[in-house]
Order: sequence, then C-alpha cells, then structure tokens
Amino acid sequence: MNLVFENLRKQYGSNVAIDDVSAVFEPGLIHGIIGPNGAGKSTLINMTAGSYTVTSGRILLGDRQISGLKKYQIAGSGIARTYQNIRLFDQMTVLDNLEVCYYADDAGLAWKEVLWPPYAKSREAERHAQCRKALAQFDLLPWISEDAGSLPYGRQRMLEIARALVRDPSVLLLDEPAAGLNHAETAELTARLRALRAPHRIMIIVEHDMDLVMALCDRILVMHHGKLLFQGTPAEVQGNTEVQQAYLGTSNDIDEIKSAAQDRRAKLGLRARQRSG
Amino acid sequence: MASTVLTTAPARAPRWLAFLLIALAAALIVATPFLPNYYIRVANSLLIYILLGIGLNIVVGYAGLLDLGFVAFYAVGAYTYALLASNQLGIHLPLLAILPIAAVIGAATGILLGLPVLRLRGDYLAIVTLGFGEIIRIVINNMDWLTNGPKGIPALDRADMLGISVARPSEIFWLLLVTCILAGLAVWRLQKSILGKAWAAIREDQDAAAGVGVNTTNAKLAAFAISATIGSIAGVIFAASQRFVSPESFSLQESILIVLLIVIGGIGNILGIIAGAAILILLPEVLREFAEWRILFLGLLMVVLIIIRPGGIVPRSLGPDVLFKSLFRR
Amino acid sequence: MWGTIVQQTFNALTIGAIYALIALGYTMVYGVLRMINFAHGEMFMLGAYAAFVLLALMVPDIGAAGALALTAAFFGAILLVGFAGVGIERLAYKPLRHSTRLAPMLSSLGVSLFLVTGVQIAAGPQPRMFPHLFPNQRYEVLGGSITSVQIGILIAAFILMLGLHFFVNRSRLGIIVRAVSESRPTAQLLGINVNGAISLIFFLGPLLGASGGILYSSYYGIMTPTMGAVVGLKAFTAAILGGIGSIPGAMLGAFILAFVEVVGTALLPILTNGAIGTEYRDVFAFAILILVLLFRPAGLLGEAVSEESMVYKREF
Ligand SMILES: Nc1ncnc2c1ncn2[C@@H]1O[C@H](COP(=O)(O)OP(=O)(O)O)[C@@H](O)[C@H]1O
Ligand SMILES: [Mg+2]
Repeated sequence: MNLVFENLRKQYGSNVAIDDVSAVFEPGLIHGIIGPNGAGKSTLINMTAGSYTVTSGRILLGDRQISGLKKYQIAGSGIARTYQNIRLFDQMTVLDNLEVCYYADDAGLAWKEVLWPPYAKSREAERHAQCRKALAQFDLLPWISEDAGSLPYGRQRMLEIARALVRDPSVLLLDEPAAGLNHAETAELTARLRALRAPHRIMIIVEHDMDLVMALCDRILVMHHGKLLFQGTPAEVQGNTEVQQAYLGTSNDIDEIKSAAQDRRAKLGLRARQRSG
Repeated sequence: MASTVLTTAPARAPRWLAFLLIALAAALIVATPFLPNYYIRVANSLLIYILLGIGLNIVVGYAGLLDLGFVAFYAVGAYTYALLASNQLGIHLPLLAILPIAAVIGAATGILLGLPVLRLRGDYLAIVTLGFGEIIRIVINNMDWLTNGPKGIPALDRADMLGISVARPSEIFWLLLVTCILAGLAVWRLQKSILGKAWAAIREDQDAAAGVGVNTTNAKLAAFAISATIGSIAGVIFAASQRFVSPESFSLQESILIVLLIVIGGIGNILGIIAGAAILILLPEVLREFAEWRILFLGLLMVVLIIIRPGGIVPRSLGPDVLFKSLFRR
Repeated sequence: MWGTIVQQTFNALTIGAIYALIALGYTMVYGVLRMINFAHGEMFMLGAYAAFVLLALMVPDIGAAGALALTAAFFGAILLVGFAGVGIERLAYKPLRHSTRLAPMLSSLGVSLFLVTGVQIAAGPQPRMFPHLFPNQRYEVLGGSITSVQIGILIAAFILMLGLHFFVNRSRLGIIVRAVSESRPTAQLLGINVNGAISLIFFLGPLLGASGGILYSSYYGIMTPTMGAVVGLKAFTAAILGGIGSIPGAMLGAFILAFVEVVGTALLPILTNGAIGTEYRDVFAFAILILVLLFRPAGLLGEAVSEESMVYKREF
C-alpha cells in the first residue's frame, strides 16, 4: 500500500506553504524529507496526519483517500506520528500514554470493560503486553509507571516514538526525532529507527541531522520554499548542486527574510511609531 | 536490575492511616442510623454532595472540562421525581420506575447540551453550562403550569422500593449509601477502562489525543452524559428525601460549590471528593454563627489551594483501592 | 408603532453600551491569557458598590449628591476597581500562568465567590438604591422618548470606548498589549515586558467593567451583590458573538445582543399570545450563544481558532 501525495497544496492567506507537491512513498523503505526551516516539511506531516487541512490536492493510502478525514479516523486507520515539539500526555504514566492508543480499537466495548471485570482484565492484559513490547524496544520499561512529563528529555523523545509505534502502524511519520538530542542519544536513535524498518511499513522522517538522514534513508525528498526541489537516493542528493545551494542560501533569501520581517512588523503596527528621521 | 531502582513504588498509605480511615468510615456508617434525625440529615446531605461530586468529577477531574451548570442535571432529576410522584400531574410512579426514567432524561439532557459545544475547542463549555444552569432555573421558575413556579411542588410521595419504605432519614441514608458506593465503583471502573484513559488524554492534550486515535467528541460526550446521569439520580433521591422541590435549591452558587468541593478535596479522586464534601457540609454545621462567612472562606480556600496545592488536600494517588491494599499488606 | 421602535432602539443602545463596556474586559483577558475570567462580572458589581461608598463618604445625603461629588465618585470608583483588578491578577492568576488551563479559571471562580460573599457580608444581601448620575429629564425624539440618563450613559460609554480604541491602536502601550495578545512568546523574545502588559489589561478591563456597573446601577436605580453573574454572562456572550479576543467584535456583539434582547422581549409575548412573557428575557442571550457556537464558533469578527492556528502559535 503506497502513500501518495497528489498535487498537494497548502496556503495560508497569500503565503503558499506547500506548492504542488506530488510524491509516492513505498512500504519497506525509509523516506527522508529535508530542507531549510520553513520549507514546509512539518506542514506535509501535519497534512498527512490530518492536523492541517489540505488546500487542494489529495493524499491517498492505497486506494483510500486520507485527506479530508478526521484526525482520529486517520490515526485509527494506521497512520501514526510524532511532533516536532514533543506532545506527550504529561500527567499520565508511560504505560497509559501507550495504552490510550488502543481507544480506536476498544472504545466500542468500553461498557463491557466497566460491567464485566474478567473481560476488562483479559483485554487490559493484552493491551499491556503490546505496550510493554513497544516500550522494551526503546528500553523504557524502567520508567513504565512514571509520569511521562517527569522523564528526561531524551527519554521523552523515545517514548513519543514508542507511542506512535504501539499499534504497529502502516505509516510512521517522525517530525525531527533527533531535535534536541545529544550525540550519544542521536546515535542510539539512529540504531533504533533502523530496527523499525519493516516490509509493511512506510517510514517518513523529517530531519535536519544529515548524518542520521544519510545513514538511514533509502529515498530523500528535498523541500525548498514549499516546492519539491529534488528527490533521489542519499548519494544523488549529496551530489546535487541545486540542493547544496538551497542549504547554503543565496542573496535572494536574505531579501525575502527582510521583507517578511517587515510585513510582520507592519501587522503589529510597530511601523506606525517609526519616525522618519 | 536497573528497573527495580528506577521504578517508583506503587502508591501506598501508612498502614495505621489506612486502618484509621477505614475504621472511621465503618464506624460512622454503622453508627449514623442510630443517631438523632438531625445528624442523619447532615449525613444524608453529605452523601448527596459526595454523589454530586462523583458525577461532576467525571467531567472536571477526568476529562478536564469545566462544567458550571451541573446543578441543572440535579434539578432535572429532582423535578422528574416531583412530577412523577405527586399530585402535581396526578402521576404516582414508584421510585424504582422513576430512577431509570430520570437517568435517561438526565443523559439525554447532557447529550443535547454537549452536542453543540463539545466538538468546539476552547472553554466555551464553562460558559455554556453556566448559562444552561441559569436557564433551567428561569424555566422552572416560570413554567407555573408544570412546575408550580417559585412556590415549588410540595407533598411528594413517600418513596418505597419493593414494599420497603424509603422515606425516613435513616432509610434514605441506606439508599444514598448504596447509591454512592455503586456510583463510586462504576466511576472507578470507568476510570480504569480505555474510556477513562481517553478522558485523561483529552485532559492533557486534546489535539494529541485525537492524534493517537481518540474520537474526542464522543469521549467527551460520554463523560458528559454519564456525569449528567449521576447528577439526575442524585436529584431524584434528594427530592424523595425532602418530599418537596423548589427552584431555590438549584442556584448557580450550588453548581460552583460542587466544583469547589472537588477542587478542595483533590481533582480526580474519590477520597478527595469525600474530604471536600465533608469540609463543605460539616464546616457550616460546626461554625453555625459564622454561616455567611463560610462561602467567603471557601472561595478564598479555593484560590489558595489551587495555587499552593493544585492537587487538592488528598493526594491523587491515594484512592480507596490503595487504602485497602495498604491494610492487607504484610 | 413608530414611537415604540424609536423608544426600543434607545433602550437597546443604552443596554448595549453597558454590555460593551463589560465585554471588553472579557475579550481583552481572553485575547492575552486564553482564560475566562469568571471574576470579571464582580468588577462590574464592585464598581457600583465602590461608587456608592465613595459617595457616602463625600456627601451626607446620597440622593442629593452634586455633580462634582458624582463625577469624583465615578472616577474614584473605576480607578479603585482597576487597581483591585491588577492586585487580583497578581495574587490569584499570575502564580498559575504555567499551570493547567483549568487552574486560573477555577481560581477566578474562587475570587468571584469571595467577592460576592464579601460584599454580601459588608453591605447586606438585599438590593440597595443607587442614585442617578444624571439629572432625570425626558426628551421627545422622533416620536419616542429618551431620558437624560440614557443620553448620559451613551455619551459616557462612547467616550470610554473611544478612549480605549485610541489607546490600543495609537499609543505605544496599546501596541505592546496587541503584540502580547498576538503571540506571548514572540513578544517575550522581542524584549516586551509581558507582565506589564498583562497588568495593564487587568487594569483597563476592570476599570471599564466598573464603569459599566456604575452606569447600569444608575440606570435601574438599584444594585445587588449578585448582579455581576447574569450581566457578566451576557457580556461574555457578546464577546463570543463578536469574536472572542476582538475588541471591535466585543462592542459589535454587545449592541447586537442588546437589540435582540430588547426586540425579542417586546415581540415574543405578542407572537406567542402571551404564553411566553418577558421573564424569558435572560434566555435570549443563552439562545444566541448556542446558535453562534453552532454556526459560527469564531464569532462575527474573530479569527477561527483551530488546531492549525494553535500549532502555529506554539511553534513560532
Ligand atoms: N499554522 C500555520 N499558519 C500560518 N502559517 C504556517 C502555519 N504552519 C506553517 N506555516 C508556514 O508554512 C511554512 C512552512 O512551515 P513548516 O512546514 O513548519 O516548515 P518546516 O517544518 O519545513 O520548518 C512557513 O512559511 C510557515 O510560516
Ligand atoms: Mg518543522
């Protein structure tokens, strides 16, 4: 089952965040999305996960159209994600953070869990077994009954990935999983992510850490100003001059940044106070 | 192994404390029916507030939604009993028939009110429920032909269950006690179920909850409906014990007091609710001369507690199950 | 008929002006802190009581107070309530700024309860007469009659709102307040004194609310310790109707709400043959609230709050 972007477009007022992006993601492969800040990488993830609406174009998983579905429906149909800024359920235990993901499967029988304790017990045991498996993959078992918010930052990153993984999703979207991690933790993350590759699973990683991307990914998409600038294997990406330029930046970019800043100030009315002189 | 070092011990209470609390509760329960009626009435109003607290806590404590019109559901239950068991409409149904009717009406009211609001984000719920509580009171006050207006409905039937009278304070006491225990158990099981986990996730981060597959609107609606049901049942028993209802009992202040007792005792915790209700009910009984100062003090207490002890006076981890476990620990 | 229409328009404008003064406080606080300040209705009530107390201190017979005493009491009272608002924010809300979303709202509920009972204990729970701020005269205009009290209320409210408008849009402090409500983290990064801006909002909101309370009490000639709750609810509805967080929205919402209320109360008994009478006046605000939330949750002038805009604010 491929994940397909068809002429995706996302617009905020006049700001085009994603401009006519088409791409195909295949199961069994790890896809990287790279690009400078503001290129639209997170927007792609957010649209796929249903957090953002799509201005035009379609997102398909196999034959099924994903774009336009509610977020919980998308999550329920096997697309899991992490966030650029960690979003855990801070005051729930590590175990509960994972267990709640089974709501999509078990909500219909919640009344039975309440009224018939033996059923609740067995169902809970099944869920816990799955959760423990995911937690074990990330060596999080020692923290299992701690509040998620009390974990060290690096462990929280791992926990977020474990949470995304618990229902064995067919699409795994990771938005900057290495952000804020130190060198050793990034190495650990790289190893763990490599182990997540599975024949039925599409993995998409947005990342700034080029070592991690080059080491892990089979295909790489390069985004720039909302457009798909280039796609290819790590070797092809590294050899491409256009890509290098996008990262180094041209004088053009500096002008753009300046004018954007000006716009923002005008919006806040600060310019009204600037005396000419 | 590293794990044993890092794992926090499961919540425990000192054994003497567990013993003391359980013994105290048992002694109070056994002794109350033999006390003079005045004390039984105090105990009954304590139990009513505990029941209301258990109901509201689902929405406020578990799902993190602020409901300021909870008393409306209480009113719905009370007036259901009043209309179906009095001369007002000439209908005289038994208590056992009214309870399920009131539960259904309560849940339906909760869903009808929740439907437009719960799919929205933000804190509109607080303001809409606040408005709803006021509206219900206004409507009851003015629908004279049905509710007899501000005068209220007097002379409600003496309730009985399968031939056993439940009208005297001591009889109501047992009914309330059983209802509280049943509601407490049901809510406890709910909290442990997948629905309870979903509520907690919604409380923590609604968007992330939807992101892991929780249909947040439905989960919130369930919380709202269950809470309304418990509120409505509390209303039925209240009406059956007073044998008189009037709009006065269902003021906005009453709603706020129920929120208050949850917050003071400890949000999301049944022992906290009991403690909160005890403070709320027993305080004015003890400080009779200072009756009007009590709300002033409670308002202040609420602010201070939220700032210095946001979890309330009873720690969240200290539930009845922990108490019992501590008691039977080697 | 024509006379009635003119008459009801004047009535609606008067009530709308008062709602607007209160709605502004709700909307400004929500714009910056994303918090419903349940104690704001009490600022309205406090305004009336503070003015009453100041008057009583200044003149022996409140009913016969002169223009100077009335003016002094008005401004003294709204300044007092403004400072009280700042103090309350410092003590009861500021410590909770990094707490859960529920915490400051619960705290404001506690404050509200405290203030209402405090006034009840100090001044008694019964309603009290409130003097007219303006000499009471009737003028015939376009077939309806308008009282000098109404004219005074309209002028006072107009001046206050115009002042707020210029303050927010033209003054340096106002721009800072707007920057903070646009994005608190960004403002902080720019070196803006966020705490100062929040204090300012908790000064202006209660000040306007208190002025509304004084005008309201002098319009109806009465004040009660509990009058903040219902009027507060309506003002909040006005703020949502206009688009919560939007200052012009709050004013617009207030006038629309007042018109619907006045017209509805006048029409409903006729339409239903008296089955539904004026007692249902307070139900209109609520019905409007539900309708707005159903069909236009962002309000008339507000920006839609979606996960998208939240994520944006969170990450930038
Ligand atoms: N919620 C939003 N509202 C308005 N503009 C947004 C929003 N989210 C992203 N953008 C804009 O879209 C563009 C792409 O952003 P993003 O996808 O976050 O970039 P990246 O993740 O590649 O750094 C940026 O110009 C950003 O300003
Ligand atoms: Mg990004």
